[in-house]
Amino acid sequence: GVFAHLELLEAQAYKAAMKQEEREQQEEKLARLRARLQELRLQRDELRAKLDLQQKGQPGKEGVGSEPARPSARAVVEWKMRSVKSLLQVFYLTGISGKLTKRGVCFCISTAYEGTYLDSYHLDLLTKPEVQIYRHSLPIFIPLQQISKKYLQTDIRRFLAVLSDHLNAYVGRRYQADQLQEHFSDQIEGTLQRNSLCNLLVFNYNLSSKSKTFPFHARLLYGDLCCSLPTEVLVSCTADAPAAQAEVAAAHTDLFRHMALHKAFSSFSSAGESMD
Amino acid sequence: MDETVAEYIRRTVLKIPRDEIKAMLQKWGFLSQAQLETVNFHQIKENISQDVVQLCEENSADIKQAAVLDIIYNHIYPNKRIWSVYQMNRRGEETEVFDLTDFKKKFKRRLQSALKNVTINFREYEDNAIWIRIAWGTPYTKPNQYKASYAVYHSQTPYVFISASVLKSNLPLLCQALVVAANYHDIREMELRSHSLNSLKDIVFKRYSQSFQSYYPRPLQERNVAPETEDLRIVQENRSEKERIQRLNWEAFGDGPQPKLEFAQYKLETMFKSDPKMDVLDKKEPFRCLVKFSSPHLLESLKSLAPAGTADAPLSPLLTCIPQKARNYFKIREKRGLLPGSFVSP
Repeated sequence: GVFAHLELLEAQAYKAAMKQEEREQQEEKLARLRARLQELRLQRDELRAKLDLQQKGQPGKEGVGSEPARPSARAVVEWKMRSVKSLLQVFYLTGISGKLTKRGVCFCISTAYEGTYLDSYHLDLLTKPEVQIYRHSLPIFIPLQQISKKYLQTDIRRFLAVLSDHLNAYVGRRYQADQLQEHFSDQIEGTLQRNSLCNLLVFNYNLSSKSKTFPFHARLLYGDLCCSLPTEVLVSCTADAPAAQAEVAAAHTDLFRHMALHKAFSSFSSAGESMD
Repeated sequence: MDETVAEYIRRTVLKIPRDEIKAMLQKWGFLSQAQLETVNFHQIKENISQDVVQLCEENSADIKQAAVLDIIYNHIYPNKRIWSVYQMNRRGEETEVFDLTDFKKKFKRRLQSALKNVTINFREYEDNAIWIRIAWGTPYTKPNQYKASYAVYHSQTPYVFISASVLKSNLPLLCQALVVAANYHDIREMELRSHSLNSLKDIVFKRYSQSFQSYYPRPLQERNVAPETEDLRIVQENRSEKERIQRLNWEAFGDGPQPKLEFAQYKLETMFKSDPKMDVLDKKEPFRCLVKFSSPHLLESLKSLAPAGTADAPLSPLLTCIPQKARNYFKIREKRGLLPGSFVSP
């Protein structure tokens, strides 16, 4: 009846009023945030101007570009600390950082592979009477003795660079092998044979296509310890395999030589080789 | 199936704690899942072992397969044995290409050419560890399976961990086979022994916690953690001393857990220094004495000495150098002349 209709209209009016209020609140909030944004932008521009003036500041002290207020001593110290910290961060990101110790230097070599940060290793060196290694946390299978015999006394930069190459290549090879075992274990037949340096990988794998599986045998030799790609690759299939399969084996041989192992697997998994 | 093999399997199963038997047999993989389901693993071990032997009869187990079960048991419970560390040396510098099949072949060939009656088993693990089990016989007797030796080798490292059997006469043979197989020149025993195989690995592979100085925060929690909610009425008189001790302790031991060693032995051959008036010894002779520290976990207890107030910090370098020098047997002679630190002999 009429009353029911009136009630309905009342309810609708109430809802509309609520919505209106909400909208007004939102707009208010937006306006506030915009104002804050302007404020912060102004502040930022101010600080930028100050920074510029400071950087040009010293020689032109006699009246050229005198800013309204000099930064306090505390602010200067804080800025210096920040820039030193960021400098150290930059060195850390390059992979080799060092700190002077009472008796020499302690270096930290950080490794990474294709954007993934991996392990860090330390080297504590003594500088007197001659440069020697006091202690370290390098893996025992890295040929440290060989490298130090060649470079430690004569060219410490080269020593660190060569060592860093070895370590980065090792973690890269290890990363590829681990990724292979983790993500493509269903294609690997049996165990992946590897060694401590991860410079020899031997395994059997399958390619499935059109509900048939084609077995392959792979042997990857990483002759260059500073390299994370193999120097020798052998991919073979059984003697009675069809010619098309042998072609695939040859293609894979080439692929493994030039592409990271897990990426190679990823590429031919998704491409879906077709063999007939 | 051979009587001796049956008995060996039975005794091996009896060694395993009852709750672990099923899992270990599954790892072994010699008995099928269906066969394992027929065994009641809740009965007493005597009966379990009989049932297992029965099933092995059905599958005609031989000694090689029984030996694999023994390796698995020793891999899971290595701390029941004492392990020594051996270091290999090579003359030239060759880039290592370690081929596992090559290693195994060379090892077997070398050992079997010297001694016909040996049982040799290999088993590789995920961490690149190669476990070698050798049961020794003589030219006239079959190998004694109950006194097998174990050697654990990580490829491309110069270290081998050996738990020899009582028959020490076979040790040179084992060492020779390892040197040939791993392409090294010679091998020597290090002065490092422990029950904990993993701790020995941590020490020589430098995997233990060392305190390196660096600029960026250490991954573990910062040492100077916010103080626990203290009662403000309690005043720490010795705060600076406590902090000094903590710092020195950190420098000596690092942050993390220590490798597990059970003892450190110091053989002293130093002169007894007494008040000359007391005249304790007539002749000036080195006072021979042996000091042995034993503990369920020696390095952790040394680490807790200074903070507990039982010893002064810093601790003697003779105690703190144990992981870095990779040894827990020392011989200490008199300091000679101005050569510092040369008094600890290899």
